[in-house]
Amino acid sequence: MKTSAAILTAVGTGLLGLMAHGQIPASDSPNHSTAKVEAVEYLYPEQVTLAPGKTSSVALHFRVAPGFHINSHAPKDEFLIPTALSFPEGSGVRLENASYPAGAEFVLPADPDTKLNVYTGDFTIQTKLVAEAGDHLVKAKLRYQACDKTACMPPKTITVPIDVVGK
Amino acid sequence: MRRNTIVLGITLLVLAVFAWAGWANYEYRKQAAEKMLANAGRGELVAAGSSDTGMTSSPLLGKPAPAFTLQDLSGNKVSLSSYKGKALLINFWATWCGPCKLETPWIVELRNQYAPQGFEVLGIDSENDNLAADDTAGLAKDKAAVADFVRLEHMSYPVLLDGDSLTKPYGDFDAMPASFYVDRNGKVIAAQMGISSKDDMEAKIRTALGATK
Repeated sequence: MKTSAAILTAVGTGLLGLMAHGQIPASDSPNHSTAKVEAVEYLYPEQVTLAPGKTSSVALHFRVAPGFHINSHAPKDEFLIPTALSFPEGSGVRLENASYPAGAEFVLPADPDTKLNVYTGDFTIQTKLVAEAGDHLVKAKLRYQACDKTACMPPKTITVPIDVVGK
Repeated sequence: MRRNTIVLGITLLVLAVFAWAGWANYEYRKQAAEKMLANAGRGELVAAGSSDTGMTSSPLLGKPAPAFTLQDLSGNKVSLSSYKGKALLINFWATWCGPCKLETPWIVELRNQYAPQGFEVLGIDSENDNLAADDTAGLAKDKAAVADFVRLEHMSYPVLLDGDSLTKPYGDFDAMPASFYVDRNGKVIAAQMGISSKDDMEAKIRTALGATK
């Protein structure tokens, strides 16, 4: 009898311990924060020095925030807005060419049959720039349209600030 | 004496197993909680149809749907008040919105199925490109894209333009699709930000119609 009581006590104590330790909430569900953040961030370079009047290669690096994707430069649907880089006229720097990375295939959970072509994480646009002599604080623009797995945000244009020194 | 020793040994073993299980469970949950906290600032859009009520909550729930008058693609003025007595789905969408395109065939089917019972859909286009009122070329381009979309998707219900003017009265949402279900008395009975499923939409339509489940 005493033996049974001891075993019962041990089991009970163990169960209580389990229950007590199980109180920390755990969740594998996706983060449902509604905080409004930029879906795309320009990373670098902040400054480049280019030979004036000559075509120079400059790689511009961007990051798509976790949980989001943006259309690639060549989305598969005519209605989708492509990611596009532009340099303002009269900035002292001309964008001669921009080579965009190939997008990755992406499928919405609600539509496994349709493959989208998107950028996620870090991506790089290879540019050919021609700078005039002098210091140019260029405000290039990146237009994109971001979505997550269930909803899309309106198209947006962010400033890509680069200090281009032509010398 | 020997029996007692065996019982004591078993007891200690059971205790040890439970202690280990408790500790392992604690560590697992602690790590999961830390992972969750680390992700807290990601700003991911809310997953529609999830258990998170944030996506289906709206300050408009239980209140009359805000009135509006917008133009359709033919230039006719259409007012919400014209649909008094009908159950409605007010669906905000845009041509550039992939999930909107995905749910549109569902909406077309559901509209055709439930229209005889007094259900209607108002598709409200919100291109959200901040065009100036005098940007006639930009507005014409938008309108042409909307017309193409409507034709390709066989949207048989009224499609209204300039939904951007309604996002504030409808809860200042910033992502699409956004759907508001209105009952026959004009009250918003459900809202959905982001795509859910055809079944979920149908259930909300039936509730708006006052159908028994």
